This record gives sequence, C-alpha cells and structure tokens, in this order.
Amino acid sequence: MRATLTASALISALVFSACANLDITDLNNPGLEQLEGSPTASALNTAASGILIGARGGMSGSVGYVSELGILGREVFYLSSDDPRFVTELLIGPLEGGNGAFGGNHWAARYTSIRNTNIVLNAVEKVSGLTTQQKEGIRGFAKTMQALDLLLIINTRDTFGAAIDVNTDPTAEPGPIVPKAQVFARIVTLLDEARTHLQNAGATFSFGLSSGFAGFDTPATFVRFNRALRARVAVYLGDFATANTALQQSFLDVAASLTLGVYHPYSTGAGDVTNGSFDPTGRALRGHPSFVANAQRKADGSPDNRTTKNEKASNVLTVQGLSSDQLVTVYNSASAPIPIIRNEELILLRAETQLGLSNIAAAIADINVIRTRAGGLAPYAGAQTATAVLDEIVYNRRYSLYFEGHRWIDLRRLNRLASLPRDAATHKVFTAFPFPADECLARTPQPSSGCSPVTGQ
Amino acid sequence: MQSYRQVVAGLAVAMLTALGAQAQTRTLTGALRDSASSAPLQVGSVTVRGTALGANVRANGQFTITNVPAGNVTLIARSLGYKRREVDVPAGVTNVTIALERDVLRIDQVVVTGQATSIERRSAPNAVATVDAAELAVVPTVSVEQQLVGKVAGADIQQNSGAPGGGMQVRLRGVTSVNADAQPLYVVDGTIMSDIAIPSNQNVVTQAAGGSNPALTQDAQVNRIADLNPNDIESIEILKGASASAIYGGRASNGVVIITTKRGRSGIPTVTFRQRLGFAQVSNKLGSRRFKTTAEVDAAFGAGTAARINWQPGQFYDNESFLTDGTHPQRETFLTASGGSEATQYFASAQIQDEDGVVINTLARREALRLNLDQRFGSKFITNLSTNVLHTKAGRGLTNNDNTSTSLWLALSFTPSIIDLRQKPDGTFPENPFTASNPVQTATLMKNSEDVYRIISSYKGTLTPLTSSTQSVRITGLGAADFFTQKNGLFFPPELQFEDDDGQVGTSLLSNSNNLNLNFDLNAVHAWTPGSYSATTSAGLQFVRRNLDIARIVSRNLVGGQQNVDAGTTISVLENRQKVNNLGVFAQEEFQTLGDRLLVTFGVRADQSSLNADSKKLYVFPKAAASYRLDNIWRFDDLKLRGAFGASGNEPLYGQRFTPLTANINIGGLPGLVVAGTTGSKDLKPERQVELEGGVDGTLWSGRANIEASIYQKTITDLLLTRELAPSSGFNQEIFNGGEMQTKGVELAVGVVPIQTSTLNWIFRTTYSTNSSKITELPVPAFNTGGFGTALGVFRIEKGQSTTQIVGTDTTSTGEVLVRKIGEANPDFRMSFSNDVSWHRLSARALVEWQKGGGILNLTKLLSDFGQVTKDYADPIPGSTQTVGERRLAGFGKEASTYLEDGSYVKVREISLSYDLPQSLTSGIWGGIRSARFSVSGRNLLRWTDYTGLDPEVSNFGNQAIARNIDVAPYPPSRAFFFSFDITF
Repeated sequence: MRATLTASALISALVFSACANLDITDLNNPGLEQLEGSPTASALNTAASGILIGARGGMSGSVGYVSELGILGREVFYLSSDDPRFVTELLIGPLEGGNGAFGGNHWAARYTSIRNTNIVLNAVEKVSGLTTQQKEGIRGFAKTMQALDLLLIINTRDTFGAAIDVNTDPTAEPGPIVPKAQVFARIVTLLDEARTHLQNAGATFSFGLSSGFAGFDTPATFVRFNRALRARVAVYLGDFATANTALQQSFLDVAASLTLGVYHPYSTGAGDVTNGSFDPTGRALRGHPSFVANAQRKADGSPDNRTTKNEKASNVLTVQGLSSDQLVTVYNSASAPIPIIRNEELILLRAETQLGLSNIAAAIADINVIRTRAGGLAPYAGAQTATAVLDEIVYNRRYSLYFEGHRWIDLRRLNRLASLPRDAATHKVFTAFPFPADECLARTPQPSSGCSPVTGQ
Repeated sequence: MQSYRQVVAGLAVAMLTALGAQAQTRTLTGALRDSASSAPLQVGSVTVRGTALGANVRANGQFTITNVPAGNVTLIARSLGYKRREVDVPAGVTNVTIALERDVLRIDQVVVTGQATSIERRSAPNAVATVDAAELAVVPTVSVEQQLVGKVAGADIQQNSGAPGGGMQVRLRGVTSVNADAQPLYVVDGTIMSDIAIPSNQNVVTQAAGGSNPALTQDAQVNRIADLNPNDIESIEILKGASASAIYGGRASNGVVIITTKRGRSGIPTVTFRQRLGFAQVSNKLGSRRFKTTAEVDAAFGAGTAARINWQPGQFYDNESFLTDGTHPQRETFLTASGGSEATQYFASAQIQDEDGVVINTLARREALRLNLDQRFGSKFITNLSTNVLHTKAGRGLTNNDNTSTSLWLALSFTPSIIDLRQKPDGTFPENPFTASNPVQTATLMKNSEDVYRIISSYKGTLTPLTSSTQSVRITGLGAADFFTQKNGLFFPPELQFEDDDGQVGTSLLSNSNNLNLNFDLNAVHAWTPGSYSATTSAGLQFVRRNLDIARIVSRNLVGGQQNVDAGTTISVLENRQKVNNLGVFAQEEFQTLGDRLLVTFGVRADQSSLNADSKKLYVFPKAAASYRLDNIWRFDDLKLRGAFGASGNEPLYGQRFTPLTANINIGGLPGLVVAGTTGSKDLKPERQVELEGGVDGTLWSGRANIEASIYQKTITDLLLTRELAPSSGFNQEIFNGGEMQTKGVELAVGVVPIQTSTLNWIFRTTYSTNSSKITELPVPAFNTGGFGTALGVFRIEKGQSTTQIVGTDTTSTGEVLVRKIGEANPDFRMSFSNDVSWHRLSARALVEWQKGGGILNLTKLLSDFGQVTKDYADPIPGSTQTVGERRLAGFGKEASTYLEDGSYVKVREISLSYDLPQSLTSGIWGGIRSARFSVSGRNLLRWTDYTGLDPEVSNFGNQAIARNIDVAPYPPSRAFFFSFDITF
C-alpha cells in the first residue's frame, strides 16, 4: 500500500518535472523579433533580398495591380464565370473599400512591402559585420524600393492621399494620411536620398538581387534605375526640367533594346511564384476589343505591330454581356517577368518631357523611335501642335505599355479618363480606389475623403 | 510544482486514514435474472447500500460479496439495460435472487462525472446524453457522428456535403467560439482521439482560396473521427458544455464526447457475424434549364451558338445525371469474437465497409481491426488494453468552391443542357465550350484518393489497494496513443480540358501527413461511505502531446502524363509542422447524502499549454454542481432538480502566438525574408467558457415515461479575436483575447413506453432543442467572417447582435443600397422523433429529424443564374418582361437576400425492419447458431424541404465555428438501402 503510494507519487512527480517546460517555438517560420532586436549580417542581407519578394507581391494574377488597372483602363476584361465581380465591382462599381481583392490589396500589399523596407532600414542601423559602404548600398536599395511602393500606392489612391510615416508600432495609431502632393514629395526625397547612398556604396551590394535586375545589380548601375523612377515621378509631377536631368542619368538608350529595364521575375521553380497573369487559353483574361480596333495602320494597311500583344482566340468568351475573342499574350509564359520600368517607357517619358519643355521636334523624334521600332508604323505625320503630339504620345504609351499598368494612370493624370469606352450603360470609369475599410476604421477621426465607396462617371 | 506535490500528499493521507476497523460480517451470494424471461444476467453488479462493498456478477449470473455487515442491509442491483433495484436483505440471509426489469428508457444508466468517476443518471447533476450500442449502427454509416444525428438533444450534427467518407460537424449546445476550434474533444477508451481535418490540397487545382476568401478549408476535407468503426462502440456519452466538461480543462469548451468500445465478458465465447448489402442513389439533383428554341440558345450564349454546336430544339442533355445516375453498391462485413475467463476477457472485431459514392469515381472504404483485452491480476489489479488498427480510403471527387471552373457542380453551373458531355465512342470527351472544364471528363479521369492508416491504442491499469465496508481506493494509470498517417494523392491527367489553362499540362499532388496524439493520465479515487453520506474524492493529472507534420508536393507539367510527382517539370513543396504540449491537474469532490437524495460536487482543473503565450502559466477551471431527488411528487415516481456551474477553455491555435517572417518564398532562387502579415499578442491565452445549467428530470407512471429538461447559459470570454490593423502598418491583423459571447438554450428529451406487453413493445422518444447566441462585448469594430463579401452575404460579428447573423447588401424603400442583416443561420429549433416497435420476433424502428429555420446562402444558384442554366431561369414572371432568373440577377449587388434561403427540413434519418429467426429454425440449419436476424434498413430515405439547393446540410468551408450554411457546388446528397443478416454463434 505504502509502496504503491510512493510509486504513484514518484511517477506523478516525474511526469510533471519532465514536462514543466512545455514551451515550443515556431517550427515553421523564423521570428521577427530576432531581426528587429539583434540582426546578423546574413539575416539582414536575406531580408534585403526579401524586399524584392515583397515588391513583387500583388503585381500579377487576376486581382493583381497590372490586371485590375488594366480592367479599369479598358485594356483587358477578366471574364470569369466563377467570380462576377471583375465586372460588377471594377466596371460597374462603386469601388468598395471593404473588399480586399478589388482595391484593398493594392494598398495592403504595398504597405507590407514598405514594412519590409523599414525593417531593413531599421536593422541596418543595428547590424554588425557590414562595412559602411555595404550599409549605404542597403539604404540606397531599400529607399528606392520604398519609393516605388509609395508611387504605386498613390497611383491607386490619387487625390485621396496616403500614409507615409508608417515605420511605427503596428498595433499603435497609424501614421496620418497626407495629401497627394506630400506623398510625391516623400517619393522624391526617398529617391534622391537613395541616390546619394548609392553613390557612396562602393562597387558591389552585400545582398543578392533577382534576375529582374540583371545589368542593374551594382550600386553604379542600380542608380540608373533609381533615376529612371525619378524621371517617371517628375513627369507625373510636370517637373520636366528635373525629368530631363533624371532621364540623362537613367538607362535611356534609343539604340538599345526597348525591353532593356528592370523587372519583377517569376518562375516555376520550387518556392518561387509564377506569373498569374499568364492565361494561354484565355480562360478569363481577354483583351478589350478596342485595343485592336483603335490601332493605327502600317503603310501596308495592316495594324500596328504592337497589336500582336493580343491574339485571336478560338472562341468568343461572353460573360455578363461582355464579349471578347482576344487573348492577351503580353505575359506569354508562367515565368514571364513584369516590367517595373524599361527603355521603351523612358523614351516616351523623354518625348513627353521634350513636349513639356516645348521642344516639339525633339518630342516627335522620340515618338518616331517608338513608332518605327515598336509599331512598324511610318514616322509621325500629324499636326505639330502640342495637343496633337500629346495625343500621339498617349497613343504610343497605350500600345507600347499595354497591360503593364499604365493606361488608367496616364489618362487620369492627363485628364482624359472620359475618353475610355463604357461597354454597357451601367459601366463607369473610376478615378481612384478608396482606402481599405480597415484603414479608415483604425483612425480617429476617419480621413475626410477616401473612406466611402467611389462611384464612377 | 508545489501544488502537484500537495495533491499527491493529500491523496496519500486520504488513503492512509482509510484503514478502518473490521466488524462482524457474513458472505452474501445470489443471482441476477431478467424479470420477464428469468434468464440469468451475464453482466451487472450488486452493491451494499451505504458501503463501498459490492461485486460484479459472473457469466452465470451469480455474485458473491464478502465482508457484508451481519445486520439488515439493502442491496442495490444494477445491470446494463435494466432498471436498478434495491432489495432489503434481513440479517441472517446469505442468498438472494434479484429479478431486474428492462430499462428501455435508460433511466438507471450510469454516466460520467469526471475523469475517473461516474454516477447513476438518477443522481447526475448534468444532462449527460448517452447513446448505446442498441441505437448505434442500426443503419450503417461510415462516420460515427452520423450515428448520433437526432439522438442527442442539444447536439447539432450536420454533414458538410454528401461526399462519401465523412466530413461532419458536431456542435454541442450552439456556438462556442468565433475563431478557435469548433469541434468537441473526443475521448475513446481514454485516448484523446484526434479529430483534425487535413485538406487534400485540391485547392491547387480549384484555386478556391485564391479568390476573395483565402480559407484553406474548401477542400471537402474529412474530420478524422470518421475513421472509427461505429460497430465497435458500446456507448457514447456526451458532455455538452463547461458545466459538465470542466474537468477536461483547456480543450473542453466545445464539449466532450466519451466513447467506450465493446469489451469481452467471461463465459461462453460468442461469435457474431453481420453481412450487409445495399445500394445508394443520389437523392436530389439541381436540374437544368430546358432550352426550347435556337433563338433562346443564341440569345443566352451568343449568336450562332446553336448552329455551332449543332443543337436542335428538343435536345436536352442532363449532364448532372451523367455524373450521378445509377445505383451504387454498399457493403459491410463485420465479425466479432468475444469471451474469456474470470481473469481474462477479450473482444476482437474485424470490419470491411465499402461504399460507392453516387458521383462517378467516388468511394469510401474502411478496414478495421480491434482487440480489447482485459486481464485481472488477483483481486486488486486489472489492466485493460484497447487496440484499434484502421485503414480508411476515400475518393471524394472534386466539389465545393473553385476559381477555375473545375469543381464538378461549379462547371455544371455554367454548362447548359444543350451539349452532351458524355464520353464519345472513340474514348475522348467533348470539349465544353461554355466553361473551362467538362465535368464528366473531370470526374471520370481524375483521381482524388485519401488513404489513412491509423493505430489507436490505450493501456490502462487499475489498482484497488483497499476495499472495506466504508471505503475504497482506486488508482488508475493510463497511457494512450493515437497515430495516423494520411496520404492524399490527387491526379489531373493532361487529357483534362482545363489542364492547359496554366500552360502546364497535367497536375499531380501528393500530401503526406503524420499525426500523433499521446496522453498519459494518472487518477486516484477515494470513496468514503461511513453510513449517512458518501464522499468520493478524486484527483489526477493528464499530460497531452500532439504532433502534426504535413508535407505537400505539387507537381505540374507531367512528362508522359505520369502520376508520380517526380514526373513534373514544375515542382513545389511545402511543409507545416505543429507540436503542442499540455499538462493538466485536477481534483474533485462528490458528496452524496440524505439517502442518496442530495448530491453536491465541486472540482477544479488547472492547465498549462504551449499554445498559450506563457506556457508556464496555469489557467484554472473550477466547477460545482448539485442535484436533489424527490419521490412520488404528483405523477412522478422520481423527480430531480439539478444545477451546475463550470468553466472550461478553448486553446489558441498553433502558431497564433508568434509573429512570423515568411521564409519559404524565393525570387528566382534568391532567398528572402518578408513579413507575413500577422502579429501575435504577447499575452495570448485560452478562451474561457463559463456555463450555468439547470434542469428537472423525472420518471412517471412507474417508469413508463421519463422527461429531462435543461436550460443553460454559456458565457464565453477572452475570445480569440483578430484585430484588423491599419494595412498601412504592413500587417493585416493581430490575434488577441477579448470580447464576450453568450449562448443560451433549452433542451427537452422525453421518452414514453405507451405499450409494454410480453409480445408488443412500443417506445417513443422525442427531443427538442433551441439555442441562440449573441455577441455581448466586442472590443473591435464589427467584422465579417466566412463567406465571400457582402454582395453575396457574409456572417458578421457585431456587438449586440446574434453571433450567427448573416448580413448582405440590401436596398431600402428609397432605393439606397446598404449592408444590413438579411438573415440568421442558426435554426429556430431542432426536433427528433423516434419510434421502436417490436411485436413477437419483428421489430421496426424509425427516426425522423426536423430542423426549423436556419438561413443558407445558396451561391450555387447564383452561379448557375450567371451561367443562365438554373432550372427555373427562363420561367416567365406574369406581368414582367424579365424571367425568374433575370429578376434574381437584376438584384445582384443590391439584394443579397435573393440567394438566402430557408434551410428548414424534415428528414427520415433511419428506418429499419428486422426479424429474429426462431431458434427452432436456426438450430435446424446448424445447432451452433444461437440467434439470427434478418433486416432491411435505410438512411435518409425521405426528406421534405423548400430549400432549392442540393441539400440544406451544407458547408463549403467544412467545420466552422460560425460560417456554415454556405452552399457552393457541394457533393450531392444520397439515400441508401441495406439488406442485412446477423448471426450469433
């Protein structure tokens, strides 16, 4: 009896003492605390490379940036029989703030990416084991990428503004929403600071860059990408003098391939992401019929070479009264990269810059590079007026940068959204996405604009 | 640590004081008999009232009790399935024969009150539901929960779809959580059995989670309690809420289901053999719009469509039938052998069950072996071994939501009846020009197989170091393991129409999951019966470990169309591991006095878990309960008032306490770390449920009727909530504890025996239950859960509102579109009616379940309206130019209630008719046959509902705390008929 009791007491004590520490760490993921607290050089370099993964997030796929801006800009339809909202939300509206797949994602994915850059920028101040030059390289890279994310954010929110001071405790009151002009000012600051960092960054980066940065993967070459973005921002701001300077410092080259540039790469490799905007059979992604219909003709009467970015499908797809027989072949494989910025856009930015600086002849010269090289068209023979030349720039931007996320932005900044076709009486054209509902709810008081559904015109 | 030592020390003191003095005694012998047949009862026990003395009967019905006090005593005789009886034995008598009456209403059952204690139902302070073998496996099912449908008041048991192999949700007493685990805790012979549902990964093809709801639970997954063989079960006891389940601690707030399997009895070896053969049919189809003219076809699908596909008026192809038609064989073979000596008893069983699903290429199959072995070592020590080896296999087809038009019923929603999708004579399938896939081809050529190999085993040792007339001590140690490996192999060959959509032809998916549950229990019980009262003290500890490892391989672009995952050119892998440690200690006191009329019990359990942010912190869950019995009040023979209070917990899910970085994505082979979007709270702890329960139980008319009425209120605090963070922070959400939810309800169970004669018996039972749940405190703004957005209807958690409210877009009388409540998913009430009638050798049984109310979002209908193929789509509306379908679609985005339907139903769940062959006949065949029975039975044979979808039992997202009742292209329901015979040797 006593023996049994003693035995059972012993067993219970044993069981208990063996298991008193029940703790189990996260078996699946590394924790953020370590990177924030005591970063190592290798962890920081991996996190720096991770910025590219974050920056790529939300770009491709049916609800990606390129796809949804393409739908808003009437470049493509997404005729899904499974999900009607690519029509009901994006073409009829109103655009809802509450919906994560139709607008909220272009806010959240970008700020997640910005958080990545801020984690890296915070950690670079604490890390040991990196040289001053290497740290400058990381700063220049992270700030350039943060500027790119902010640019994409303000692209979708426009006059509603955006938050720029977001390097704060995520559970605390978020940084304020500031007007569009201040957002652009921050983008300019980030790009210019980044340039200085990059100029002091030595010959190589300490971290790896993706294949999308081939040719732009050293501080000296990366800074040309930085300047290319700076040129785009300057053109958006109508600051043509700065744009002109930035373009000269960028990788613009009328003799080089029009596809020279910086990309988000995709691949079918294990753990990598494929380009979800690749739809070879046109299951849902279809070209807007106006793309081929509105194209200019070549000398032989055939359409602009750039219309081959669409192909005729074997069937007509009809959903909710919208029909298209056009396959979109811009991304022709699951590994096709999505451009961030490339030579063809830079040449067109320079044409716009020259027009802005009233150098119409220089503008036309750049336009003709694109017309002949990309479109197979005869040189521009239209009126030499600013309006006519701008029309021609808009035309070329539409066909050269088709399904790369530009048309809706271009027409908005040039006050031409009204020119977009409405394919049914109920269809609308929108100017901006509202803020995600959670962004509004997290703020007291709520922002005065951007928190209600956006009805179109 | 200190507290555990004190528990153990206290226990020791209690037992040492147990050495009482011995008075003058006698030895009592006797026998238990059936009052009707006078046959000896092979199981049962006899105890001496007011003492701890007693004995079990032997195989011949005889019992012997030693050390009985010499004076007048009262014996209490019990036997499973018989009413308890008290018999006075005067001084000097040493032999008694006690006849027991059958207890058809189970008034005198014994029910559990804790980890190691039980009590007679007549004294139980909680409404503990019990379902025993006689009510189980009357009509076969693959999954054990299905056997409980309609048999337990307050249990809401629904299948998620009609797919073979299981996938059912058990909700005990309403909603108990928002985001945490919603399933009860299953304990099988002491083993904490895993009920997790591991998705098949079909999402890779369906992309269901790629759309606006990222939940990875749309794979029509099976919750793994389905592995258990229902035929092996002796009884199921259900603790419905914290007031009863508190002693199970931190995982018990969804209730506890305690399953006891059959065990051997000493005596003549018994062999039973059961063979069932049957067939199943689809019990409901959606139908499809019938096109009348080519103009109608062209108007719907574009000019020239009819000509292009060569369709002629009058042609109608019922593609849904091509997927489901015919009868689908079912069979089950079940063999048991049991018996043993006084010291050793065994029960062994083997089962093969084979069910063909009603959709092409779907099936469920189980092979099960069990050995339960009981060995007694002398009079003080007994060990019980339970082992179960199982293989279950399921082919579940491809159903539920998708975003690629590959799920069978989703593809049908876009396929008009103007095209014949059947296989052509040359073996190929026609291209479906209306959507991405040909569902007949998909169902025929794809594979979706799930193989589970499982071992469930427990070994229990019970030591009874002391039994005297006033006290007894029992110490139980148990070690248990539940291990399974689940393999999901899905194969989509290159020939499938949709397989070139991603440019990578052919997809093969392989997932291997290993799950181990271990638990070690140590319990000690001390019963003290000095005379005027009895006190039972129990204490113990329980250590639980869970270990889950899921590895998945996705292989695309299959060279030569091979299923092997190494045949693909694009391969991705994923591994997810989870490990959980829990430790709990408990102590409980039961005190019975006033001639066993008053029962007072209180107890406490303390748990620590690695799932909590502080894995060293103990969370304490107390309980207290009391019951009082009255005799002969009005028409009641016996009336009991009871009240109970208890607390229990619901753990955070694995990983919720961490703030992870994502490390498993690369960019062109370049590794990178990125934030994952979720940040865990630094003080994450379990949800806490406090339940108050009160009730009245009574028996009337000399035991011919009984009634059990309960009312309860559960208050759940510290809900595991996600706080949506401003997305500009770069994080989406934080997981934290907060808020409060209240669930209230009423349950009623009535049993009546209107006729009880020697040849005719009629037992009628009915249950009624209703509950409602409300969010009483919410520290975050109202948020949506489940569903696909307000345009389609979603569940919304909102302070002051029902937990299960459905909100959606709605239009006011002024034409303004806003989002407001459009319905309620929780039914008004649920009732069941069962009748058992036996006449001579013939017996019949029927079980009907009725659910009133409960809204369902019929999104399958919305989709087929978009596809213009809904059966009634083209029906005219008098006085309108719109058709029925056009009218529905016109409200899309403005009237989400258009697709919200009433889920009321009446279902005839079980029907059976059996005939026991007379002994003279069977012994004529072979003298060794002790009994033989022939039966016909059916499950879900009839149903009545206004719901226009496939079945009102539906959940696209599988088992859900709240967001059930969403219908997106589910597997269709079926009815099944069986012919069976049972022989006992």
